[in-house]
Amino acid sequence: MSKDADRTFRMERVISAPVEEVFDAFVIPEQLASWWGPEGASIPDYSMDVRPGGKWRTVMQLPDGNKPEVSGVYRTIEKNKRLVFTWAWKQDDGSRGHETEVTVTFEPAGKNTRITLVQSLFAEVAHRDRHGEGWESSFNSLEKYLARAA
Amino acid sequence: MPEMPTLFGALADPTRLAIVERLLREGERSVGEIAEPLPLTLPAISRHIRVLEEAGVLERRVDRQWRRYRIRAQAMHDLDEWMARYRSFWTASFDRLERMIEKRRKK
Repeated sequence: MSKDADRTFRMERVISAPVEEVFDAFVIPEQLASWWGPEGASIPDYSMDVRPGGKWRTVMQLPDGNKPEVSGVYRTIEKNKRLVFTWAWKQDDGSRGHETEVTVTFEPAGKNTRITLVQSLFAEVAHRDRHGEGWESSFNSLEKYLARAA
Repeated sequence: MPEMPTLFGALADPTRLAIVERLLREGERSVGEIAEPLPLTLPAISRHIRVLEEAGVLERRVDRQWRRYRIRAQAMHDLDEWMARYRSFWTASFDRLERMIEKRRKK
Protein backbone atom coordinates (compact mmCIF):
# COMPACT_ATOMS: atom_id res chain seq x y z
CA MET A 1 0.00 0.00 0.00
CA SER A 2 1.45 3.35 -0.97
CA LYS A 3 1.98 6.22 1.42
CA ASP A 4 -0.71 8.03 -0.54
CA ALA A 5 -3.34 5.55 0.54
CA ASP A 6 -4.81 8.13 2.90
CA ARG A 7 -5.75 10.20 -0.12
CA THR A 8 -9.25 10.20 -1.42
CA PHE A 9 -8.91 10.28 -5.11
CA ARG A 10 -6.50 10.86 -7.88
CA MET A 11 -7.10 11.98 -11.45
CA GLU A 12 -4.82 12.26 -14.42
CA ARG A 13 -5.42 14.26 -17.52
CA VAL A 14 -3.25 15.10 -20.52
CA ILE A 15 -3.83 18.59 -21.91
CA SER A 16 -2.59 19.49 -25.40
CA ALA A 17 -0.42 22.44 -24.41
CA PRO A 18 3.02 22.95 -22.90
CA VAL A 19 3.45 22.91 -19.11
CA GLU A 20 3.92 26.70 -18.87
CA GLU A 21 0.52 27.37 -20.41
CA VAL A 22 -1.29 24.82 -18.28
CA PHE A 23 0.35 26.04 -15.09
CA ASP A 24 -0.61 29.64 -15.96
CA ALA A 25 -4.23 28.56 -16.29
CA PHE A 26 -4.11 27.62 -12.60
CA VAL A 27 -2.31 30.67 -11.23
CA ILE A 28 -3.48 33.59 -13.39
CA PRO A 29 -6.85 34.54 -11.86
CA GLU A 30 -8.52 35.72 -15.10
CA GLN A 31 -7.60 32.43 -16.75
CA LEU A 32 -8.69 30.24 -13.87
CA ALA A 33 -12.03 32.05 -13.73
CA SER A 34 -12.76 31.01 -17.30
CA TRP A 35 -12.60 27.25 -16.69
CA TRP A 36 -13.08 26.65 -12.97
CA GLY A 37 -16.25 24.83 -11.94
CA PRO A 38 -18.89 22.55 -13.37
CA GLU A 39 -20.31 22.80 -16.89
CA GLY A 40 -22.21 26.04 -17.34
CA ALA A 41 -20.68 27.72 -14.27
CA SER A 42 -19.37 31.27 -14.32
CA ILE A 43 -17.18 32.88 -11.68
CA PRO A 44 -18.65 36.28 -10.81
CA ASP A 45 -16.32 36.84 -7.87
CA TYR A 46 -12.82 35.60 -7.11
CA SER A 47 -9.54 36.52 -5.47
CA MET A 48 -6.24 34.67 -5.57
CA ASP A 49 -3.13 35.65 -3.67
CA VAL A 50 -0.82 33.13 -5.31
CA ARG A 51 2.06 32.73 -2.86
CA PRO A 52 2.68 30.31 0.01
CA GLY A 53 0.25 31.24 2.78
CA GLY A 54 -1.80 33.40 0.39
CA LYS A 55 -5.57 33.03 0.38
CA TRP A 56 -7.84 32.24 -2.54
CA ARG A 57 -11.60 32.14 -2.99
CA THR A 58 -13.99 31.65 -5.88
CA VAL A 59 -17.74 32.16 -6.06
CA MET A 60 -19.43 30.06 -8.71
CA GLN A 61 -22.68 30.96 -10.38
CA LEU A 62 -24.31 27.69 -11.33
CA PRO A 63 -27.03 27.24 -13.97
CA ASP A 64 -29.44 26.04 -11.23
CA GLY A 65 -29.13 29.40 -9.44
CA ASN A 66 -26.88 28.19 -6.63
CA LYS A 67 -23.78 30.22 -5.79
CA PRO A 68 -21.36 27.95 -3.95
CA GLU A 69 -18.20 29.54 -2.61
CA VAL A 70 -14.97 27.68 -2.03
CA SER A 71 -11.81 29.03 -0.46
CA GLY A 72 -8.45 28.00 0.88
CA VAL A 73 -4.79 28.81 1.33
CA TYR A 74 -1.86 28.09 -0.98
CA ARG A 75 0.64 25.84 0.71
CA THR A 76 3.21 25.19 -2.00
CA ILE A 77 3.86 26.86 -5.35
CA GLU A 78 6.57 25.38 -7.56
CA LYS A 79 6.36 27.12 -10.90
CA ASN A 80 5.43 24.74 -13.74
CA LYS A 81 5.74 21.76 -11.41
CA ARG A 82 3.44 21.60 -8.44
CA LEU A 83 0.66 23.46 -6.68
CA VAL A 84 -0.70 22.59 -3.23
CA PHE A 85 -3.69 24.37 -1.71
CA THR A 86 -6.36 23.76 0.88
CA TRP A 87 -10.02 23.76 -0.02
CA ALA A 88 -13.28 24.19 1.91
CA TRP A 89 -16.84 24.99 0.85
CA LYS A 90 -18.61 27.85 2.56
CA GLN A 91 -21.48 26.51 4.68
CA ASP A 92 -24.98 27.98 5.00
CA ASP A 93 -24.06 29.50 8.38
CA GLY A 94 -21.09 31.30 6.81
CA SER A 95 -18.44 29.03 8.29
CA ARG A 96 -15.91 27.09 6.24
CA GLY A 97 -16.71 23.41 6.02
CA HIS A 98 -14.39 20.47 6.31
CA GLU A 99 -11.01 21.26 4.83
CA THR A 100 -9.36 19.09 2.22
CA GLU A 101 -6.02 19.51 0.48
CA VAL A 102 -5.46 19.52 -3.26
CA THR A 103 -2.11 18.73 -4.88
CA VAL A 104 -1.78 19.37 -8.61
CA THR A 105 1.35 18.11 -10.36
CA PHE A 106 2.34 19.25 -13.86
CA GLU A 107 4.64 17.09 -16.01
CA PRO A 108 5.69 17.43 -19.63
CA ALA A 109 4.39 14.60 -21.83
CA GLY A 110 6.00 15.30 -25.19
CA LYS A 111 4.56 18.62 -26.31
CA ASN A 112 1.66 18.14 -23.92
CA THR A 113 1.16 18.29 -20.17
CA ARG A 114 0.09 15.58 -17.81
CA ILE A 115 -1.86 16.95 -14.84
CA THR A 116 -2.19 14.73 -11.79
CA LEU A 117 -4.65 15.88 -9.19
CA VAL A 118 -4.88 14.38 -5.74
CA GLN A 119 -7.48 15.52 -3.27
CA SER A 120 -7.01 14.44 0.32
CA LEU A 121 -10.10 14.12 2.47
CA PHE A 122 -8.30 14.74 5.69
CA ALA A 123 -6.12 17.80 5.25
CA GLU A 124 -5.50 18.26 8.97
CA VAL A 125 -4.71 14.66 9.68
CA ALA A 126 -2.59 14.25 6.57
CA HIS A 127 -0.29 16.88 8.02
CA ARG A 128 -0.41 15.89 11.64
CA ASP A 129 0.01 12.21 11.13
CA ARG A 130 1.73 11.41 7.84
CA HIS A 131 2.83 8.03 9.10
CA GLY A 132 -0.43 6.96 10.68
CA GLU A 133 -0.80 3.28 9.93
CA GLY A 134 -4.53 3.55 10.40
CA TRP A 135 -5.04 5.34 7.12
CA GLU A 136 -3.78 2.58 4.92
CA SER A 137 -6.28 1.04 2.56
CA SER A 138 -9.28 2.72 4.17
CA PHE A 139 -10.68 3.87 0.92
CA ASN A 140 -9.96 0.58 -0.77
CA SER A 141 -12.07 -1.00 1.94
CA LEU A 142 -14.75 1.59 1.38
CA GLU A 143 -14.80 0.93 -2.34
CA LYS A 144 -15.03 -2.81 -1.85
CA TYR A 145 -17.77 -2.35 0.69
CA LEU A 146 -19.78 -0.15 -1.67
CA ALA A 147 -19.26 -2.59 -4.52
CA ARG A 148 -20.65 -5.37 -2.35
CA ALA A 149 -23.56 -3.26 -1.12
CA ALA A 150 -24.53 -2.19 -4.63
CA MET B 1 -26.82 14.36 3.64
CA PRO B 2 -25.64 14.20 7.25
CA GLU B 3 -23.39 16.86 8.70
CA MET B 4 -20.19 16.10 6.80
CA PRO B 5 -17.95 17.87 9.35
CA THR B 6 -19.38 15.56 12.06
CA LEU B 7 -18.75 12.54 9.89
CA PHE B 8 -15.20 13.64 9.10
CA GLY B 9 -14.54 14.60 12.70
CA ALA B 10 -15.49 11.06 13.65
CA LEU B 11 -13.30 9.46 10.97
CA ALA B 12 -10.30 11.76 11.37
CA ASP B 13 -8.72 9.75 14.15
CA PRO B 14 -6.42 6.79 13.52
CA THR B 15 -8.06 4.54 16.14
CA ARG B 16 -11.57 5.26 14.94
CA LEU B 17 -10.60 4.83 11.32
CA ALA B 18 -8.97 1.49 12.21
CA ILE B 19 -12.25 0.42 13.82
CA VAL B 20 -14.24 1.49 10.75
CA GLU B 21 -11.83 -0.29 8.43
CA ARG B 22 -12.08 -3.51 10.38
CA LEU B 23 -15.89 -3.42 10.42
CA LEU B 24 -15.94 -2.66 6.69
CA ARG B 25 -13.92 -5.83 6.17
CA GLU B 26 -15.44 -8.10 8.78
CA GLY B 27 -19.01 -6.98 9.27
CA GLU B 28 -20.45 -7.08 12.78
CA ARG B 29 -18.28 -7.23 15.92
CA SER B 30 -18.75 -6.93 19.69
CA VAL B 31 -16.97 -4.22 21.70
CA GLY B 32 -14.60 -6.85 23.10
CA GLU B 33 -13.71 -8.08 19.63
CA ILE B 34 -13.20 -4.53 18.39
CA ALA B 35 -10.93 -3.75 21.35
CA GLU B 36 -8.89 -6.93 21.15
CA PRO B 37 -6.19 -5.96 18.60
CA LEU B 38 -6.03 -2.33 19.77
CA PRO B 39 -3.56 -1.08 22.37
CA LEU B 40 -6.21 0.79 24.37
CA THR B 41 -8.39 0.13 27.40
CA LEU B 42 -11.97 -1.01 26.98
CA PRO B 43 -13.41 2.30 28.29
CA ALA B 44 -11.25 4.20 25.77
CA ILE B 45 -12.50 1.97 22.93
CA SER B 46 -16.07 2.46 24.12
CA ARG B 47 -15.62 6.21 23.92
CA HIS B 48 -14.36 5.96 20.34
CA ILE B 49 -17.28 3.70 19.44
CA ARG B 50 -19.70 6.20 20.96
CA VAL B 51 -18.26 9.01 18.80
CA LEU B 52 -18.70 6.85 15.71
CA GLU B 53 -22.23 5.90 16.71
CA GLU B 54 -23.25 9.50 17.38
CA ALA B 55 -21.87 10.57 14.00
CA GLY B 56 -24.01 7.90 12.35
CA VAL B 57 -21.07 5.82 11.17
CA LEU B 58 -21.89 2.77 13.28
CA GLU B 59 -25.12 1.19 14.36
CA ARG B 60 -25.72 -1.08 17.31
CA ARG B 61 -27.56 -4.33 17.60
CA VAL B 62 -28.22 -6.01 20.92
CA ASP B 63 -27.89 -9.77 20.66
CA ARG B 64 -28.89 -11.28 24.04
CA GLN B 65 -26.64 -9.38 26.45
CA TRP B 66 -24.07 -8.49 23.78
CA ARG B 67 -23.86 -5.18 22.02
CA ARG B 68 -22.66 -5.67 18.50
CA TYR B 69 -21.65 -2.91 16.11
CA ARG B 70 -21.62 -2.66 12.37
CA ILE B 71 -21.16 0.02 9.71
CA ARG B 72 -24.26 2.02 8.92
CA ALA B 73 -24.55 1.63 5.16
CA GLN B 74 -26.12 5.07 4.69
CA ALA B 75 -23.04 6.80 6.13
CA MET B 76 -20.80 5.10 3.59
CA HIS B 77 -23.13 6.01 0.75
CA ASP B 78 -23.18 9.63 1.90
CA LEU B 79 -19.40 9.63 1.99
CA ASP B 80 -19.24 8.14 -1.47
CA GLU B 81 -21.72 10.68 -2.82
CA TRP B 82 -19.70 13.48 -1.26
CA MET B 83 -16.54 12.23 -2.97
CA ALA B 84 -18.37 11.82 -6.27
CA ARG B 85 -19.17 15.54 -6.22
CA TYR B 86 -15.49 16.37 -6.01
CA ARG B 87 -14.72 13.99 -8.82
CA SER B 88 -17.37 15.54 -11.05
CA PHE B 89 -16.16 19.05 -10.19
CA TRP B 90 -12.66 18.25 -11.43
CA THR B 91 -13.76 16.28 -14.47
CA ALA B 92 -15.97 19.14 -15.66
CA SER B 93 -13.34 21.75 -14.84
CA PHE B 94 -10.64 19.92 -16.77
CA ASP B 95 -12.94 19.64 -19.79
CA ARG B 96 -13.40 23.38 -19.67
CA LEU B 97 -9.69 23.99 -19.08
CA GLU B 98 -8.90 22.02 -22.22
CA ARG B 99 -11.35 24.09 -24.27
CA MET B 100 -10.05 27.38 -22.84
CA ILE B 101 -6.46 26.52 -23.73
CA GLU B 102 -7.48 25.40 -27.21
CA LYS B 103 -9.25 28.70 -27.76
CA ARG B 104 -6.27 30.72 -26.52
CA ARG B 105 -3.91 28.82 -28.79
CA LYS B 106 -6.01 29.51 -31.88
CA LYS B 107 -5.73 33.25 -31.35
